[in-house]
Amino acid sequence: MAKYFDIDDILIEEEYVPVVFHKAANGVTIDPSAETNCVEQGSKVEVPFWLAQELHSRQAVSINLPACFNQKTRLEVQADAACVDLRSRCPYFYEFGCKLEPLVTDRTLGILLSTAFKIRYKETLTKVYTAAHITASKYLSFLTKEETNLYEAAHLSMAAFKKWRTGGPRFQRASILGRKRKDSSN
Amino acid sequence: MAGQTDPHISLFSPQEIEFMAEDELVEILPNMKMDPLNFISGDFGRFVPMMATKVPLWLAVALKRRGKCTFRPPSWLSVDNLTQILEAERESPSTFQALPFSYVEIARLLFDHARDDIPDMYMVRSLVEDIRDVRLHKLETNLGSFQGTSAVKISNVSAMEVNLVRPFVRRALEAFYKHDKPEADVDRDARSSSRQPREANNEPRRPLRQR
Repeated sequence: MAKYFDIDDILIEEEYVPVVFHKAANGVTIDPSAETNCVEQGSKVEVPFWLAQELHSRQAVSINLPACFNQKTRLEVQADAACVDLRSRCPYFYEFGCKLEPLVTDRTLGILLSTAFKIRYKETLTKVYTAAHITASKYLSFLTKEETNLYEAAHLSMAAFKKWRTGGPRFQRASILGRKRKDSSN
Repeated sequence: MAGQTDPHISLFSPQEIEFMAEDELVEILPNMKMDPLNFISGDFGRFVPMMATKVPLWLAVALKRRGKCTFRPPSWLSVDNLTQILEAERESPSTFQALPFSYVEIARLLFDHARDDIPDMYMVRSLVEDIRDVRLHKLETNLGSFQGTSAVKISNVSAMEVNLVRPFVRRALEAFYKHDKPEADVDRDARSSSRQPREANNEPRRPLRQR
């Protein structure tokens, strides 16, 4: 509930997951192109995560893994996690994975997430403190939302420190001081 | 939560760190006579020409600017001591040498305002910069060795260094914690078992309106 108003959390739950209906559902239009407005038992549809979660808790559906956690991604992560473009797969790769993990039968998801994060964390660290911002920008486009935040946080503090070290204006004039009083009559 | 919108919410700016460092006491030699100054943080003085006294750094800088005193550089800010520290820093890859908590800021303020009071100023300055760079690099290498530990102990890190890595480390540790909580599995099993007996039929049925 603490995250109720968190925009990232809302966006994560908007991600689509494939589900299989265990029960027939009448009077719902989940797929706009369907001819009838009912979902048959055993049909596979993609629904947003927030809906899938509720349906799952009522045991109406079972949730399958979305495409961003498929075998291909796993192999790529195993090969070299640092170079996988996770953002194009799912900008909220980790958070989404964490939310999915208790709902799916696949127990290896958590391991996938934590190994991917550990390797990519190291890569982010080296990029932040050694590479210039321009050369890192290509790498930046691979990062998920969470990793981008991590990178930005480190980059901003580093930039502030460099600015302080090289000097610059020690005292800032309050913006209100230099201004002349305006004639308010016209 | 790791995905906070404002990434620098808990960050002091380097200027603020410098401001806090200005409360450190330094020794000065006044060249004027003045009664003690009574501040909230304590009484300083009395000021007698050529009698060393300890005052906060900001006061020392203000007096120095008016030409009312000379600094006595702190004992750690000497070529011998700094050379030793630099060597020790280079030798041990994971431990940090003991330096004043705000050594970066004090050194910077002294270099800015008390250039003529520090013997071998250029040597000292380049030594301090070397030490700072070595320590920063070491700190970064240390961060790279995180493997999802929930508590990290690195002693003798100075204020500026802590502040530099604070936002990054905070987020990284949060993410690590989230990803390898060992109790997550137990928790999840407990939750899912409590969910099992809940039958779909128990739900109150609401007739869906036909469109």
